[in-house]
Amino acid sequence: MKLIFEYDEQNSGHLSDEDISITLPKDLTRTNLPLPNVSEIDVIRHYTNLSKKNFGVDVGFYPLGSCTMKYNPKINEDVARLEGFRDLHPFSPMDCIQGSLQLMWELEQQLKEITGMDVFSLQPAAGAQGELLGIMISKAYFKERNEKRTKAIIPDSAHGTNPATAAMCKHDTIVIPSDSRGNMDLQKFKQSLSSDVAVVMLTNPNTLGLFEENILDICDLAHKNGTLTYCDGANMNALFGITRPGDQGFDMIHLNLHKSFSTPHGGGGPGAGVLGVKSFLSDYLPTPRVVKQESKYILNNTKGKSVGRIRSFYGNFGMLVRAYSYILAWGTNIRKVSEYAVLNANYLLTLLKDVYELPYDRTCAHEFVISSKKFGEKSALNIAKRLMDYGFHPPTVYFPLIVNEALMIEPTETESKETLDKFALTLRVISDEIKENPELVRGAPYTTPIGRLDEVTAARKPNLKWIHPQKNHDNENLQI
Amino acid sequence: MDYIPITDIERNEMLKRIGISSIDELVKEFKPALKRKLNLSIPKSEFEIMRHMQDLAKKNIILKYFVGAGSYNHYIPSAVNHLLMRGEFSTGYTPYQAEMNQGTLQAIYEFQSFICLLTGMDVANASLYDGASALSEAALLSSSHNGRKRVFVQEGLHPQYSEVLKTYCDGADLELTNEIDDKTACVITQNPDFYGNIENPWELSERAHKVGALFITCVVEPTSLALLKAPASYGTDIVVGEGQSFGIPISFGGPYLGFIAVKDFLLKKIPGRICGMTTDSKGNEGFVLTFQAREQHIRRERATSNITTNQGLMALAATIYLALMGRSGLTTAAKLSYSRAHLLHDKLKNIGFEPLNKKPFYNEFLLRAPKPSDEIISILSEKGILGGLELGDDKILICCTETNTIQDIESYVSIIGETL
Repeated sequence: MKLIFEYDEQNSGHLSDEDISITLPKDLTRTNLPLPNVSEIDVIRHYTNLSKKNFGVDVGFYPLGSCTMKYNPKINEDVARLEGFRDLHPFSPMDCIQGSLQLMWELEQQLKEITGMDVFSLQPAAGAQGELLGIMISKAYFKERNEKRTKAIIPDSAHGTNPATAAMCKHDTIVIPSDSRGNMDLQKFKQSLSSDVAVVMLTNPNTLGLFEENILDICDLAHKNGTLTYCDGANMNALFGITRPGDQGFDMIHLNLHKSFSTPHGGGGPGAGVLGVKSFLSDYLPTPRVVKQESKYILNNTKGKSVGRIRSFYGNFGMLVRAYSYILAWGTNIRKVSEYAVLNANYLLTLLKDVYELPYDRTCAHEFVISSKKFGEKSALNIAKRLMDYGFHPPTVYFPLIVNEALMIEPTETESKETLDKFALTLRVISDEIKENPELVRGAPYTTPIGRLDEVTAARKPNLKWIHPQKNHDNENLQI
Repeated sequence: MDYIPITDIERNEMLKRIGISSIDELVKEFKPALKRKLNLSIPKSEFEIMRHMQDLAKKNIILKYFVGAGSYNHYIPSAVNHLLMRGEFSTGYTPYQAEMNQGTLQAIYEFQSFICLLTGMDVANASLYDGASALSEAALLSSSHNGRKRVFVQEGLHPQYSEVLKTYCDGADLELTNEIDDKTACVITQNPDFYGNIENPWELSERAHKVGALFITCVVEPTSLALLKAPASYGTDIVVGEGQSFGIPISFGGPYLGFIAVKDFLLKKIPGRICGMTTDSKGNEGFVLTFQAREQHIRRERATSNITTNQGLMALAATIYLALMGRSGLTTAAKLSYSRAHLLHDKLKNIGFEPLNKKPFYNEFLLRAPKPSDEIISILSEKGILGGLELGDDKILICCTETNTIQDIESYVSIIGETL
């Protein structure tokens, strides 16, 4: 499809050229703004047609493991767009922002109750930023105590963000292998707990979709060693009302509001990665913090031991509105979300485990990992592509890294039995296709707007932007 | 509300198929078990949610804003929101599976192109969280490029950006410095700066390059780029900024849109997602996420950043906004913002405000009030106007966009004029 830059020059209609005099010195101003002018109708058609080449939860089943692609309620879109939220300037006086502050304060209370933590910061814009804040807090905590701890313990099943975050804070990573039941190996963990270990970062349930069976011991051992415990809360969708990370012994947790709390993923954001901590770490959280004083809400800017701001203003506020609205809908019934997320995952697993290999034969949590190893190399990739022809988004593939030909499937609680049955049947059909007609599966997909793309050439000969054809790649001349 | 489609009969069939009799058996190893119901409110119907949220939203008071300072109240064409609401865009994930996400991927490619056209840089990424964290990522990128640990910031950076930068630097063992020397990793300037001053930073960028430091330009009000020289033209190695002005509501500070664009030699160090054009086996052009070997899900502790989820839908909003406004609309919006700001500036000067900008300004300016600034702000706010941001010592930072009408400007001035 042609690019927005490739339309003929049109009347764009929005604030068309007006003669307004500007008296800026020449050495500061540009002479040419190389943007296209396209009419509104063509812009609408362009992006509507692009949307038709896209797949979202609103289009079909999207069992992308670790991403919790649940239904995103439409009411949440409407409430986030209420004028009082959407059109509020962050530098408004305190008496003009009481509604927003109340919402943030109440959301914090809800999240504390759900996770068992004592205090939350709503500032981080995504899970990875929540993690970063968590490790910064750990660093500041040990600095204050004059303890030199520079290592982070991370299991081999962890999300890539965990080691990447530790590295951003100049921590060395100690990787602990998983044991035969898919838990972090307790013996190896014990052996690694030296006096320079700052933090252990765990996802629970882990990325294999399995609840860490030794979680109470792990947190206990860490604390006896003076080590902090961090929970990557990406998989919180399994735990609502059943067990709380704070009660398991975690000192910190980030939640991905765009996973467990139904805010839309937006094709890669915006999310929100709020961070909860136990009270002994609360002084390190970013400022400002929302405080309730009798019936008023204020912003407390006292810096004290705070690690500082991690984002401008108050975080991705619009996503906080959506998550708050979602929690209002469920209220005391929120346990049902996790019960059905776990039910759907175990049901789907039951329908598949005689055809695909199950590396750890246990009851799963809200997601599970199966392997297509017996169907040969690249089979997970081929199965993923073939699923597209049947109208499904593929699961996460080749993650976690410790399972060969991994297919990581997270159905979520918002899918019907009919959808799960159809998906399972399709995966069984594809397993037959691989045996009977392997070429068919290797060549998939056939029904998408485009076939498998040449990623090697994309990296070797990068084409990362549109260049005006007449300007012959001489972008500098185009600019000034 | 209940968003679960499974009936009780189906649930029992599913349990039977699994070979158990209750859901409790599936979660019995989740320890320690919570032995009570969570203390949350009683579940609400959709109507009750709407009523509750309307009541909360009404507790916020919307004023006529003459304040920017990192959050700019530009007009957003209706079409932006209508397109963003399409579930095909809004309910998809990061486009790992290119064949099913050509829409998002092409939009990212167009976004990268728009950012490069506006900044004059070689490569832009798919977005970062916001301007402040984008600036911080640029500082980390500089340090990883030249192995140096000191960051120089020119005066006039948004104070919240300074705070975020300091937080990131503390985390990464970088230090902020007042010197530019052979230990400096990067030199940072905001243009226009926090007080609205427009710089020609040639000299500063030459000083940076002379000692082998990278030169970073931070753009907090990107509509200024419609009028001002592209940052690449004054020797910028990394442009970062906030894209909120491009079709994203002020929304109490977020979600916003961080962007980053670099010269070619930094391509492999850039954080976050990048989309590239390539072909399929039949030669059809299409788009994929590329250079993923920089990223956390492949490189883990050796990744260029830990970022994964970014601000995808906000980048789409900016792309659609720029497409709708086009060259003509964006230029006019910028000129109107400029001229309204200068009109208000001159009128306030005439009634006794002291101009404090020593350089040309775009749509933000700094004045010293002829009486205590808190009195001025509170008089205006009683009349429904947020008159600016107080910066102490009776200094007020004031901003106009094309949404501040001449009538609004006149009433601003006359309300204050009556009190002097």
